[in-house]
Amino acid sequence: MNCEGQLLMTQAPPVRPNPGLFKRNPPIAGEAEAIEAAKNGDAEAFSKLYTLHKRRVYTLCLRMLGNVSEAEDMTQEAFLHLFRKLSSFRGESAFSTWLHRLTVNLVLMHLRKKGLNLVSLEETINPSEEDAPKRDFGSRDSVLAGSVDRVALERAVASLPPGYRMVFVLHDVEGFEHNEIATMLDCSTGNSKSQLHKARLKLRELLRQSSQPPQPAASTEATQ
Amino acid sequence: MTEPGDINSINFDTLKPEEFENYLPYLFASGNGKVSQNPRLQKFLAGNPDCAALVSDLETIAETARSLFEPTGDAVNDPSDQVWNNIQTKLREESVLASAPEDDEEEIEEDEVKEIN
Repeated sequence: MNCEGQLLMTQAPPVRPNPGLFKRNPPIAGEAEAIEAAKNGDAEAFSKLYTLHKRRVYTLCLRMLGNVSEAEDMTQEAFLHLFRKLSSFRGESAFSTWLHRLTVNLVLMHLRKKGLNLVSLEETINPSEEDAPKRDFGSRDSVLAGSVDRVALERAVASLPPGYRMVFVLHDVEGFEHNEIATMLDCSTGNSKSQLHKARLKLRELLRQSSQPPQPAASTEATQ
Repeated sequence: MTEPGDINSINFDTLKPEEFENYLPYLFASGNGKVSQNPRLQKFLAGNPDCAALVSDLETIAETARSLFEPTGDAVNDPSDQVWNNIQTKLREESVLASAPEDDEEEIEEDEVKEIN
């Protein structure tokens, strides 16, 4: 251990939260008090934390797993884990960032237990050619014209291949950095960047398809 | 040939549109992810409307994705009540187990019943 490390350990400087970390996850009114009370075993305070965060945690699980039953199981696990680990939360990041990271790790552990070991996770990250976005440089205007319907995007995300969906949700929705995602998924940062790009290309393709008017069903009748 | 990750040495004056996509993941990952505002790219994007359209669409997708972080108020975004019931049951079981003397399970159950009543 170097001298600097020893100094840090013996002097224990006060924790200074990075203000940048709270831009996306600003503290919620009453949350800090509930955290402190829940650390001391206050059941009501823990219930409050559940009420404040259940929707986000469940939505995160649902997006990562794409299955209501599994998402509920993992939400349950995440909050049980939270209860056991709450004393280790020191406020260095926003509470929801910390809780979401804990949730993501649990979901990834669950997926690995299901048979997605590190090698197969890499395979999932690289879907088949059929699922891969098409390279489509041609004479084409902007498909989305500067706006995307939230519901349409949510639906398109749900239909992404699992590997693309995972990286897209972690980076673009949850706001994790590529290096964090690389650590979580045990892949390189270059791989994370490349998969995110492919996910966005695939979403563009899916959104284009969903915005096209349905083909007239009467075309065969007309020829008869 | 420049490595895809080495975006600082790209010559955008000679870059072909089909090569552009190889660099896009890295261009998005650098800076604030706003590729359309990158000063080095303005001339290239102005001369390649297909590339500009692609960049615009991918930025729109990324921006809208951020809004998904906060779920809507729809009840469909909530876990069922059973989840909280299960959490409470598990935590109750754990705290009972932690404080329970060994070989005294029947007594614990009785105490629990009394508490509930």
